[in-house]
Amino acid sequence: MLVIVLMASAMLGAERLPLFDLNEQQRSILFDIRLPRILLGACVGASLAVAGAGLQSLLRNPLAEPYLLGVSNGAALGTMLAFVFFQSLEITRPLLAFAGAGLATIAVYRMAKSRAGMNVERLVLSGVIVTTFLSSVIVMLTTLLDAAKLRSFTFWLLGDLSQATRNGVYLSAGAVIVGTVILMSQARALNLMMVGERDAFDFGVEVGRVRMLVFGASSLVVGAAVAASGSVGYVGLIVPHLVRLTVGSDNRLVVPFSAIAGAVFVVFADTIARTAIAPRELPVGAVTALIGAPLFIYLLRKN
Amino acid sequence: MRFPHDRVTVKVGPPASKAIAGWRCFASKHRRQTWVQILERLVFLVDDSMWKSGVFFVLKAKVTRQKSKLCVVLAMAMLIFAGCRGRTDVGSQPAAVPMMVVTDDLGRTVTIPVKITRVVSLAPSVTENIFAVGAGDRLVGDTTFCNYPEQAKQIAKIGDTMTPNIESIIALKPDVVFVSTASQIEAFMKPLEANGIAVYVTNPTSLDGVLKDLKQFGELLGTQDTADKLVTDLQRRIRAALPPAECDLMPHRRVFVQISKEPLFTIGKQSFLTELINRVDGQSVTSDVDSAYPRLSKETASALDPEIIILSESDDNKEPNDVFKNSRAVKTGRVYRISADILSRPGPRLVDALEQISRCVPPCAAF
Repeated sequence: MLVIVLMASAMLGAERLPLFDLNEQQRSILFDIRLPRILLGACVGASLAVAGAGLQSLLRNPLAEPYLLGVSNGAALGTMLAFVFFQSLEITRPLLAFAGAGLATIAVYRMAKSRAGMNVERLVLSGVIVTTFLSSVIVMLTTLLDAAKLRSFTFWLLGDLSQATRNGVYLSAGAVIVGTVILMSQARALNLMMVGERDAFDFGVEVGRVRMLVFGASSLVVGAAVAASGSVGYVGLIVPHLVRLTVGSDNRLVVPFSAIAGAVFVVFADTIARTAIAPRELPVGAVTALIGAPLFIYLLRKN
Repeated sequence: MRFPHDRVTVKVGPPASKAIAGWRCFASKHRRQTWVQILERLVFLVDDSMWKSGVFFVLKAKVTRQKSKLCVVLAMAMLIFAGCRGRTDVGSQPAAVPMMVVTDDLGRTVTIPVKITRVVSLAPSVTENIFAVGAGDRLVGDTTFCNYPEQAKQIAKIGDTMTPNIESIIALKPDVVFVSTASQIEAFMKPLEANGIAVYVTNPTSLDGVLKDLKQFGELLGTQDTADKLVTDLQRRIRAALPPAECDLMPHRRVFVQISKEPLFTIGKQSFLTELINRVDGQSVTSDVDSAYPRLSKETASALDPEIIILSESDDNKEPNDVFKNSRAVKTGRVYRISADILSRPGPRLVDALEQISRCVPPCAAF
């Protein structure tokens, strides 16, 4: 399915390309502009979806999602700081994004954990608080700093894949592979933790270690995804749910299938973003939300 | 839901204020009658003009059947005032300051003093226009973006074009606030008018529109002579900058104007820059794209293969986007930079822009 969507998406675009016999300009459009963008979309989708799947199982919360928990915004703030202070060093963007995502995750987790343990309301509440706090910091920064420098940021914040480069693709592909492998290695432990942390502990799961690994892996993939494309919403929320409906709730299946389904979802949404009002473009984040929100409501009503 | 009395206050002069107060009192009593509101909406959907709103008052008077006599009288009053469109002196009225009613670029009628002494500008282009017609000394407030001419920087700042501070504007006690659709949405009209400040909207969409605006500024501010001289001078410069007529028959140069490098923004159908490019011997390659400043797909941009690239020079737009690396413009070195301040402001310096563009796009013979 992923392969089919990738192929179809590669053929569709603002410029019509023939199947064979591309001239130099058409080849440049396909390989320098369209393919990096599609592959980056696939990586971003996979990243957000596996992060969502991992966080949902770990926190035993169907609402856990990088965007809702403030992880995305942490990464966005990190990227922005890197952009402002180390503009020439592009490598600092994913690094600071990763740091921001990690800090936001830890902050939310600490706030949500009380002496009585962690409950759903506290987690969602602290996630929302961290998210809004970080967005206001971002808004403050965009207001205070030079307008021209940050103009591209307003688009980037909505999710934007148009700035895809080959290096960006390599980086996010690396991150998503490492992250998915880590999450899959913890899939069995996550299955046990879905029953409850205490029970998992009794079964011999090193709860603390699993938690750190899952948080670390999701911060890594979300950091890379956000640094490359801004905040693309709803992927981490909707995709793992859809996958669970089809393959069941065994994380050994949910994590890899989420990666594939997330990639398909974002590539599909980005194809719409590229072609719907061509030669103009829509921000991909708006498209994922437009598809994601009704889908989520449908799932809610069905269950 | 828009209420007609909000706009009516703008459209009639001070003598009607008593009638309006009565109408307001009446209208507020009937605010909750939903079917009346539906009628209102219907009437305003049909046409926004004065005549229709006059009809509406009659309609409303009938449907409410309360104090209907008063209402009909009011409606007649409205109709009479609606009849006085355009520039009308109502100075003989008891108001201390003689007022006049003018129509702005959006077709709204605005009541302003005949002698304007305090002006606030909410756009750099408006500031340049006011200085150009010789009324810069009456400008009491402008935006942080207003950096030309040099004196504009010394004037009290009321915020930037997108977030002007309404309180600072009110504190400056302006006779009129000038807004430009080229710099901001007209959203600021409402809060300002709600505070009793006249708002005049300029909507320049072409070079001729700019010249027309300059004349209008001269008339409003009582500096017609300076404005007329300026416009004549600008017209002479425009004629000098245009290519010889025989060039019309030759193929036009394909020009791409890059507004921002990343994400890639350009000029579209509704931009006045498209007109400038087409008036010199060029053809904007994005002239059929909808909206004024569209965000363009990189694939499309790559396929456009322009012969000339003009960069609207700002901090984040000094080089052409990477998608143009194989274009004829980059290969032949025909990439030019023009200050974004000059290119983006529909003011007197738009003629500078035309002159600079005509230097980038040489006439047919010289290419």
